[in-house]
Amino acid sequence: MHADMGRNILQGKLVRLTAEQPEVMAKAVSRWNRDSEYTRLLDTVQAELWSKTKMQKWYEDDLESESIDDQFFNIRILGDDRLIGFIGLSDIRWGHGEAWVGIGIGDRVYWGKGYGTDAMQVLLRYAFTELNLYRISLGVFEYNQRAIRSYEKAGFTLEGRERGLLNRDGSRADGLLMGILRPEWERRDK
Amino acid sequence: MKTEMLRGDLVQLVAVDKDSAADGFNRWSRDSGYLRLLDARPSRPSSVKAVIEWIEKDLENPPSDLYWFLIKKLEDNRIIGDISLDGIMWQHGESFVGIGIGERKNWDHGFGTDAMRIILHYAFRELNLYRISLNVFAYNQRAIRTYEKLGFQHEGFQRGVLSREASRWDIHYMGILRPDWLKLTNQQA
Repeated sequence: MHADMGRNILQGKLVRLTAEQPEVMAKAVSRWNRDSEYTRLLDTVQAELWSKTKMQKWYEDDLESESIDDQFFNIRILGDDRLIGFIGLSDIRWGHGEAWVGIGIGDRVYWGKGYGTDAMQVLLRYAFTELNLYRISLGVFEYNQRAIRSYEKAGFTLEGRERGLLNRDGSRADGLLMGILRPEWERRDK
Repeated sequence: MKTEMLRGDLVQLVAVDKDSAADGFNRWSRDSGYLRLLDARPSRPSSVKAVIEWIEKDLENPPSDLYWFLIKKLEDNRIIGDISLDGIMWQHGESFVGIGIGERKNWDHGFGTDAMRIILHYAFRELNLYRISLNVFAYNQRAIRTYEKLGFQHEGFQRGVLSREASRWDIHYMGILRPDWLKLTNQQA
């Protein structure tokens, strides 16, 4: 057996990837979304407050329509087992071996401590060695310097800049495109 | 004020009528050359029935972030392709644009360029958007030249996204901003 076969690929140095019940996620996400700085780092959509009930319904509907083109996980810290965020692959194009990755660390207490970088490293290993994908893409906003540094650390390369994609507080902000290819990831893993 | 804004020199943008659209997409989708320029999905012909069902679903519950038209050739009133603003983010004034000209005999006659001119005017002057984005496959040089001619700028490329015919291909990202479009078309803000 290959040495790596016995390793738990869903666990990193600081975090593990989990599956959660809709009510657990509804509670956590409706709490995280109260912080508009978090939602503005995460998404292009306008800040919105959803009740726990509405959020839970969304998660339940999501379970019904589960597709193999999306692979989502939640992130828990090793040690105190606290649920701090989510990470996932979406729009997997199996024929081309390509997917988008998205990540959010919901509670700002856990920002800047390496949890997101660790989760990303776990997910990349999953994408390249379990799903056998060739390339992972992501988008990030130019004002999210913390995330950009984390993605660079994980091995992503800056590939493009969508000029003035967002209008936020009266200024236009660029959207950055980044990507990592399996041969690049294999070189850094050794 | 330009009132007949859905009509250009060579083509006109018309409503997505389900019968003409289904006839068009069914015919065009027999050519994998067209499909591979248009989309990353595996090439596969679309039946008339499948297209009609897809359009009916859309018309029943029209998404507020989609403006979709068929392209009609003025010369003979034939439907030759489609064009859409999709994924509109109203709060940011931004949208994707996508276009396809279905039959090879209609390529390289300026129909796509004319349709894009119409939709840029529509996007900037009717919907009051600020930015239009698109992406295009690296092997689609004809389209890239068209977009450059219209004023789209290269903003980056995702390396090796597509696997086709034993090679990996980049996807180019391009965009045009309203101030640049105004300058290019000699208009006042």
